[in-house]
Amino acid sequence: MQLALQIVTNGLLLGGLYALLAVGLTLIFGVLRVVNFAHAEFMMLGMFGTYWIWRLAGIDPYLAVLLVVPLIFALGIIVDRLVLQRTIGAPEVTVVFATLGLSILMQNAALTMWTADIRSVTTDYSGMVFRAGGIRISVPMAISFVVAMMAAAALWLFLTRTLYGKAVQAVAQNREAAALMGIDVRRVYMWTFATAVAAAGAMGGLIAPLFTVYPTVGTSYIVAVFVIVVLGGLGSVPGAVLAALVIGLTEAIAGYLLGTAWAELATFIIFLAVLIARPQGFFGRRGAETFGGR
Amino acid sequence: MRLATILGGAVLLAVLLAVPLVVTNLFWLNLAITVLLWAALASAWNILGGLAGGLSLGHAAYFGIGAYVTTLLFLRLGISPWLGMWAGAALAAAIGAGLATITLRLRGPFFVLATLAFGIVIHIVAVNWREVTRGAAGLVLPFSGGPENMMFAGLAPYWYIGLALVGLCVGTTIAIRRSRLGYYLVALREDEDAARSLGVRVVQCKVIASAISAALTALAGTFYATFVQYIDPASTTQFNISVQIALVAIVGGMGTVIGPVLGALVVVPLGELSRAYLGGGPALMVYGLLLIVIVLAVPRGIAGGIESVTRHLRRRRNS
Repeated sequence: MQLALQIVTNGLLLGGLYALLAVGLTLIFGVLRVVNFAHAEFMMLGMFGTYWIWRLAGIDPYLAVLLVVPLIFALGIIVDRLVLQRTIGAPEVTVVFATLGLSILMQNAALTMWTADIRSVTTDYSGMVFRAGGIRISVPMAISFVVAMMAAAALWLFLTRTLYGKAVQAVAQNREAAALMGIDVRRVYMWTFATAVAAAGAMGGLIAPLFTVYPTVGTSYIVAVFVIVVLGGLGSVPGAVLAALVIGLTEAIAGYLLGTAWAELATFIIFLAVLIARPQGFFGRRGAETFGGR
Repeated sequence: MRLATILGGAVLLAVLLAVPLVVTNLFWLNLAITVLLWAALASAWNILGGLAGGLSLGHAAYFGIGAYVTTLLFLRLGISPWLGMWAGAALAAAIGAGLATITLRLRGPFFVLATLAFGIVIHIVAVNWREVTRGAAGLVLPFSGGPENMMFAGLAPYWYIGLALVGLCVGTTIAIRRSRLGYYLVALREDEDAARSLGVRVVQCKVIASAISAALTALAGTFYATFVQYIDPASTTQFNISVQIALVAIVGGMGTVIGPVLGALVVVPLGELSRAYLGGGPALMVYGLLLIVIVLAVPRGIAGGIESVTRHLRRRRNS
C-alpha cells in the first residue's frame, strides 16, 4: 500500500512537470496549427540559462528563473518572426519540418557553445525530501509541481476570462473569421508562441536543481509531451494537464513493473493506440488536424 | 528528342560506371558511396512522403529492419546477405503495410506523430532486446570476403551495388508515376476526400505505397550493413536517421523523380565536409539551418525550384 502510494505520488509529480511543457505545446498547436518540434529545446535553454546564472553569478536557481523567462520570451518573439510567421498558409511539409529544423539548429548550437558535457545545479535543497504519511516527496519536485499547476490554471483563466484570451480562442477556432472581426491574427500568433516557449523555459529553470543539463536533454521529454498533447486532444489546455498526469502515472507504474527501459515502450504503445482509436484525444475536436484557416 | 535522351542516358551510365576507375582516393570513393546510400533512402522515402503525401518520421525503423534481419540471418544461420536482403525487405514491407492500415485515417500532424512513435518503438526494441540485437554494443558482420556474401575487400563493388540500388529506387519511382497507382497517389495527396469520392481506393493505394517504400528502405539497410560491416541502434534505428532521410528528400525535391538524388548530392557532401572542417555540432547546425531555409523558401526543393525557374524562362521566351 505504502509502495503503491509512493509510486502514484512520484507519477503525479512527474506529470506536473510534463504539464507545463504540454500546455504550451498544445496551445501553439491550437492557435498556430503547428506541431512545435523545438518546444523542448526552449526548456533546454531555460535549464542552461538557469545553470549559467547560478554558476557565474551564484544566483539561486529559483531566482534565476525570473531572469531566464523574459529572455526566452524575447527569443520566442524573434523565432516567431523569422520562422513561425512564415509557415502560415504554407504547405504541410513546411509546417512540419520548419520546427524540426529549428530543433536540430538549437540542439547543435547548444552543443557547439557548451559542449556535450553533463552539468548539474547543486543547491541545499536539491536532495531535500519531506515525509507525509510515510511517503517521501522531493521538495524541488513539489515546488515545480505547484508552480506548473498554478501556471496552467492562470493560463486557463486568461484564455476563458479575458478579452485577449477570447481573441486567442477565436483565432484557434477560425483564423479567417477572427481576422474579419478585427483581431490581429499575427499578433495573437506572436504572443501565443512567445508565452508558450517562455513556459517551457520556466519549466527548464524549475527542473534545473533536479536533473542534469546537456544539449539534447529535450529529446528525452519531447516524445512524452507529444503523447500527452495528443492524448489530451491537440489544442486543449485542460486535456493537456489531465493527460500529463495520466502519462506521469503510467510511466511511474510501468517503470516499477517493467523497468525503465521497457516502460518507455508502454508510453508509445498507449500513444499509437490513442492515435488509432481516438485521434482527437480526451477533449480535442474532431478534424482539428486539418491545416490552414478554418 | 528520343535519340538525344537515349544518348544522354548512355553517356551518364558510362560516366557513373567509370567512377571507381577514376576516383581512387578512398575518402572520396567512400563519400560517393555514401551519397548513393542516401540517394536510395531518400528516393524510397519519397514514394510514401512525396508521391503519396505521407510525411514519415519513422523510416529509420525500416532501415534498421533491413540491416538487422540481414546481419542476424548471416550470423545465426549463415544465410548470405544476397538472400537475407529479401527477407528484410519482405518483413519491412509487411510492417509498412500494417502501419499504413492502422494509421490510414490519420491526417497531417497525427500521421507524422504516429510514424515518429512507430520509429521510436522499433528503436527501443533494438536497444533493449539485447539477447538478439546485443543492444547498444551493436553487431559486427565478420568479414568473410567474397562476392557470395556481399562483402568485398575493395570499395569499387559497393559503388556498383549502390548504383544498382539507386537505379532500383529511381526506376520504381518512375514506374509508379507512370502507372495508374501514381495518378491515384497524386490525386489523394492533393485532396483525399475528392479522390475517394471519385472512386480512388485510398486504403489500397496508401498501403501499397507504404509497403514499397519500406521494402526499398530495408534493402538500403542491407547495403549499409554489408558496406560498414557493423550496425548498432545509433547508426540505424535512431530518430536522427529518420530525420535525415526526410531532409535529403525534402531538400532535393519531394514528389519528383530526380529530387532525392539531387538532395543526396548536395546534403551528404555538405554534411561530411562541414563535419571535417567545422566539427560535429556545427555540421548539424548547417543541416538544421538548411532544412528551415529550404522548407520556408523553396518547399518543393531543388528539383521543384529548378522546374519553376525553367518554366518561367520558357514562358518568357514564348511571350
